Amino acid sequence: MLQSLPEAMGLIFTFEGMMVLTLGTMLGIILGALPGIGSTVAVAMILPFTLTMSQAPGILLLLAIYAGSVYGGSISAILINTPGTPQSAATCFDGYPMAQRGEAGKALGWATIASVIGGLTSAVVLIFAAPQLAAFALNFGPIETFTLILLGLTCIVSVSEGSLIKGLIAGFIGLFLSTVGGDPITGEARFTFGNFQLIAGFNLLAVVIGVFALSEVLTRAAASRDDAAPLVDFNGIVLPKLHEWKGRVKGLVKSVLIGNGIGILPGTGAATAAFISYAEARRSAPTRANFGKGEPDGLIASEAANNAVTGGALVPTMALGIPGDAITAVMLATLTLHGVTPGIRLMTENPVLMAAIFSGFFVINLMLLPLGMLVSRMAAPILRIKEAYMLVMITLLCTVGVYFVRGNPFDLLVMAIAGVIGFILRRQGYPMAPLVIGMVLGPTLEISLRQGLIITDGSFTAFFVGHPIAGVLAVAAVGMLLLPVFRALRPAKAA
Amino acid sequence: MNNLFIATLTSLALTLGAGTAIAKEFPERPINLVAPFNAGGGTDLLLRAFAPHFAEALGGDVFVSNMAGGSGTVAAAALAGQKADGYQLGYWSVTVATIQPQIKDIPYNVESWTPICSVAASPTVLFTQADSPFETVEDVVAAVKAEPGKYLYGSSGPGAITHLTTVAAFSGLGIIDQMKHLPFQGSGPALQAMAAGTIQFFGDTELLMASGDFRPLVVFNSERLASMPDVPTAAEVGIEAPLNELYLWGGLFAPAGVDAAITEKLSTACGTAINSDGFQEFAERTSTVLNYRNTTDFDAFFRAQYEANSALIEAAGL
Repeated sequence: MLQSLPEAMGLIFTFEGMMVLTLGTMLGIILGALPGIGSTVAVAMILPFTLTMSQAPGILLLLAIYAGSVYGGSISAILINTPGTPQSAATCFDGYPMAQRGEAGKALGWATIASVIGGLTSAVVLIFAAPQLAAFALNFGPIETFTLILLGLTCIVSVSEGSLIKGLIAGFIGLFLSTVGGDPITGEARFTFGNFQLIAGFNLLAVVIGVFALSEVLTRAAASRDDAAPLVDFNGIVLPKLHEWKGRVKGLVKSVLIGNGIGILPGTGAATAAFISYAEARRSAPTRANFGKGEPDGLIASEAANNAVTGGALVPTMALGIPGDAITAVMLATLTLHGVTPGIRLMTENPVLMAAIFSGFFVINLMLLPLGMLVSRMAAPILRIKEAYMLVMITLLCTVGVYFVRGNPFDLLVMAIAGVIGFILRRQGYPMAPLVIGMVLGPTLEISLRQGLIITDGSFTAFFVGHPIAGVLAVAAVGMLLLPVFRALRPAKAA
Repeated sequence: MNNLFIATLTSLALTLGAGTAIAKEFPERPINLVAPFNAGGGTDLLLRAFAPHFAEALGGDVFVSNMAGGSGTVAAAALAGQKADGYQLGYWSVTVATIQPQIKDIPYNVESWTPICSVAASPTVLFTQADSPFETVEDVVAAVKAEPGKYLYGSSGPGAITHLTTVAAFSGLGIIDQMKHLPFQGSGPALQAMAAGTIQFFGDTELLMASGDFRPLVVFNSERLASMPDVPTAAEVGIEAPLNELYLWGGLFAPAGVDAAITEKLSTACGTAINSDGFQEFAERTSTVLNYRNTTDFDAFFRAQYEANSALIEAAGL
């Protein structure tokens, strides 16, 4: 890998190469910021344009779109409480409260720096350790995945603002929603009540946009007055000063490690990483009492982790030729279209191309900082329009975004119903984050549990015999659940 | 109700205004090719590469639209029962057209379609990991019989072509009851599990062979494949019809009842497009195995496949 770097640089630092990286990253940020157009759709949209390009620029364009869109999702999450994708959902928890407080620029500053650091480190990991990490990831079978997802679910406890009971209820609603549709093991349709459209289950994006964005619009509209001030006061990114990082670096490092680690594993992804990282920060950060009210540490945890996933997800894709998710699957399809055979011989047969891809990925993450500031500055005037128009615009964006993904009108109905139910639940004090966490993690939890039971012939206790990683993760999950109890039992010492 | 419905209403109004469409003037409006999966997937790419050549052969406009969900059945259900005027065509795979309607309660079946042409068809292959102890099918049968319940085969999901390939193999060999099925969400996680040793067997088209260290054990084709001449066919290792041949195929379908002259015109144009240099080059680059059948042949093939796959579905216990 290293010896191919000079030649690879020759592929990147050309006029075409730099144009592709700059424009691609910028376009990725914009597409990611638009609700509904997540990373998968953004990459798929751009794919046809790469067909006329040569190999390296074509792949680099897609990588730029990918990394840019993961970062871009945080812009709309912070400014209008609308996660561009489920992976930015955890960014809403602290980002939007900060924006409401008038600190939108600062919130985006924290998110940008965290994203850049997360992305850069994942690029370094990809360059130096892809084959070794890919081999390690193979230790993660269904049983290990199941315990990892259990650990992820415990963050429902930490994001349940106010009432733990209401948070758990919302979490279980999310888990139940995820069981609607085809059974992952037998293929039978479940809980469809004879409605053919439900055979495929609820579209995750439609539900996420409904309960976050649409319910926010409804809440705003219910309280709206004509002379209301703009939703969010935002004049561009304000980068955090060096001294403000004091006490936050440890959390950043931890989040980056979590993101990289989870990105490598099959069948998990950026949303899981962001939730687990957020839960861990909420458990251990010195500022944990402020989480959910606009705490930069919460933002850092979510954004550093979800951007660190990008490089991690490319590890099995490039080292083994096995895509970990829909986005990397599209990347592999692109390689095929450009005449490169993806697979375990990819790195040995195309060392220069791979070196160009990996180092280009590093450059892309460096560019996130200036380009992110540029795009947010362009977005700032839009946010100054009157609240009523803004609400209409958000609704329109959500509608187009949700319909655009699959072209299925049923998804719009799902979004509308999710929005109304989300509005009602929020008025009753139910947090929406646990619902989304339940829905995101539910399918993986179910299939990994049932796969595990098939492997062990139905014995749950066998999960912890000869699976040390699973044991450690399960203990950690129980610990996370018990932690609030311990803290509650010794209030005197804590104070 | 849905966008197809509105599109049909609009087109109906246009048609009435312009007078009755006859085959000679067909097509008078753009033809919509429906991809039943998300933009950017394999099916979508194939259709988008195919569309310009199809348009040229027809002498009209062709555009691709996507409608995803329910393993392709959402789009197929929307198209079934639409106006059979030949302006709306769907690209259905073997699973969308013959398997899903037999395992799920969905509003279309074998009678819902006018088959136009087949475009691609690849035989499936049963694989194991290259470093596994199984060199031949006989090794597998002996090992499974020696230790029933020990070995697992994976799939990308219940009812997928990857699942049916393994079912055809192990049911045909009579050892399926002594093995366990482990479905995954997509081929990627399943292949990782095979590399890790969690599952021992997986089935897909030969396209997969290039991407990893796999050892093919048997091919579900009428004859041996040129790319792997040493691998026996299913019939050679004693797998009997209808389980001995299994193809991942796809083709264009219109709602049932399209005028014969229009069907003929579409089918011929489809053949011209498939044989065009541009599309052949695309197929070469993506290792797509093209397989053109005209409307008459495809109709017979489709019905035969529907029957044959019902035996597989029964064997799979779906």
